[in-house]
Amino acid sequence: MKKILQITLGIVTSVGGFLEIGSVLTAAQAGAAFGYQLLWAILIGTLCLIFLVEMSGRLAAVSKHTIVDAMRERFGFPFFFIVLVGMVLVAFLVLIAEIGGIGLSLQLLTGIGFPWWAIPVSLLVWFLMWKGTFGFIENGASLLGLITISFVVGAIKLHPDWSSAATGLLPTMPHDQKARYGFIAVSILGASISPYLMYFYSSGAIEDEWDESYIGVNRAIAVLGMSFGGLLSMAVLIAAALALHPHGIQVDKFEQAALPMTSAFPKWGLGLFAVSMLVACFGAAVEISLAIAYFFAQGFGWNWSQNLEPSKNARFSLVYTIIILSSAVPLVFGVDPVKVTMISMALTAATLPIAIVPFLFLMNDPIYMGKHRNGWVSNSVVAIIILISFLLAVISIPLEIIGG
Amino acid sequence: MEINVELLLGTNVRDVDGDDIGRIEELRVERDEKALLVDAYLIGASALIERLSAWTLVRPVTRFLNSRKLYSVYRVPWQDMDLTDPLHPRLRISKRDLRHVP
Amino acid sequence: MDLVRDVLDRKIVDRENCDMGRVDGLVMHLGAHTTQPRITHIRIGGTTPWMRLHPALARLAGRLARMWGPRRAEPVTIPWSRVVTAGRDIRLDVKARDTGAIDWEIWIARHIVERIPGGGQKEAEQ
Repeated sequence: MKKILQITLGIVTSVGGFLEIGSVLTAAQAGAAFGYQLLWAILIGTLCLIFLVEMSGRLAAVSKHTIVDAMRERFGFPFFFIVLVGMVLVAFLVLIAEIGGIGLSLQLLTGIGFPWWAIPVSLLVWFLMWKGTFGFIENGASLLGLITISFVVGAIKLHPDWSSAATGLLPTMPHDQKARYGFIAVSILGASISPYLMYFYSSGAIEDEWDESYIGVNRAIAVLGMSFGGLLSMAVLIAAALALHPHGIQVDKFEQAALPMTSAFPKWGLGLFAVSMLVACFGAAVEISLAIAYFFAQGFGWNWSQNLEPSKNARFSLVYTIIILSSAVPLVFGVDPVKVTMISMALTAATLPIAIVPFLFLMNDPIYMGKHRNGWVSNSVVAIIILISFLLAVISIPLEIIGG
Repeated sequence: MEINVELLLGTNVRDVDGDDIGRIEELRVERDEKALLVDAYLIGASALIERLSAWTLVRPVTRFLNSRKLYSVYRVPWQDMDLTDPLHPRLRISKRDLRHVP
Repeated sequence: MDLVRDVLDRKIVDRENCDMGRVDGLVMHLGAHTTQPRITHIRIGGTTPWMRLHPALARLAGRLARMWGPRRAEPVTIPWSRVVTAGRDIRLDVKARDTGAIDWEIWIARHIVERIPGGGQKEAEQ
């Protein structure tokens, strides 16, 4: 009974916590510019994420190590530090985008510009982390995040032709704007396969004291939770394909991403979009801040736990405090969160290899994983993800310049 | 004389004739009451694979490529290693007298 | 036991299960060439991990460490004889507080975190 409850909660958490500014903007841009043609990118991104999240949870449950713990032990300090620098820089950019997303949502609701919201929002995010426990934050934000299911309702209300949409699940090339198509595809993959999610998930498994008996729970959460989450992203793309693509409206600004919802719900669409984004970005901001703090604490061997009061893990708490408050600074000076989002998604894609290659070694380590090592299916999938990630690493920056 | 073991890792080792052997990747030790006693140094590419516990990944690849090159691990007993210059470790014996680790 | 795989970079905990950091370095004592080398001490923190990257980074880390906080750049050195078990973690028969390994943690808790409302109980009150 307890396990069923945990699976349910885990799925709810995954669904409620799946969408954030990156996944929404990239899906909306994709739908607006290319109709259903880029659904395959969300499908592939979600499939990759399912495997990576399942492995992150399995590593934690079996070895009682988080990914960062195991990476530091196996690969040593120099390698860990290089990965730390890369991952933290990119995650910090994503955090700026999420805090900016909250600010933009509040701007839609109140008319007050997002730079004014940057400091109050970052203080609120910080305060919830300062006072809240891991369970309260994770579950609370994710339960509220279920409001993002309104994107699915919105897409259905716009009466898509499902058979046309299904054709978008197979990759095709557009007739023109190939660079832009490539750039958005890369950005969707960067938004889906976010390394910070893996680090957060494995740390959460340790916080929740998972052991080998949770392997089944982990698999259920990864498959069902991430699948439902992927469906949410697809709904955003489909709604944009219906509401924006026929009229040639591109999504370059945050408020343009709201147009599909206002088409589906003329009265409440804008409010629903703004509240959904506010909650989704809030959850993501907390996750990313924790992921960065976990990275430092686990790598350097400090006390860490979101369930302890801050003075009991002072360095861990100081790291997330500095990270969150610093993320407000560029926004106060008016840096556009939408631009930061697109750059950070491309950079996430570019830095995927350094996150995933060590992971392949860890999942095959008999000392950590015992009989729960990767089988040939998982290894093949990770190998394909690594190939995709190297390809993304090579093409994402040029595409950002040409097509972004 | 005191040596920082973590800085010894990855340093290139030459034999008594000046030939390259490989890099120090691992140290085999035995526990004593008050210290760890160094039994041997593992040198070579495969020693790194051993240290990363990566044989389950690498073996299928080497079998597929039919490559023997990766299986070069030398086990150097502590008596045969000269660490008076820790930045340039040398063997006290020749390469041909070294033992391969199976 | 394999030193690099099983000891180096492992997490260290004290007798009360408090995290003390990681094995950043190991000291080998080398006698005459007929004497078996011995690993006698563990090193935690200070400039030790930075030396593994580059000596210039170690010098910079040392300079920064001396400017604030506990103002120490030297690593904490613990004799191997204090190691109880070397399994998933390295467990020591010491109290973390007495070794200096968590001086930074205590300093940051006392001078920064506890001064922010909601940061936690003052050290003296515990």
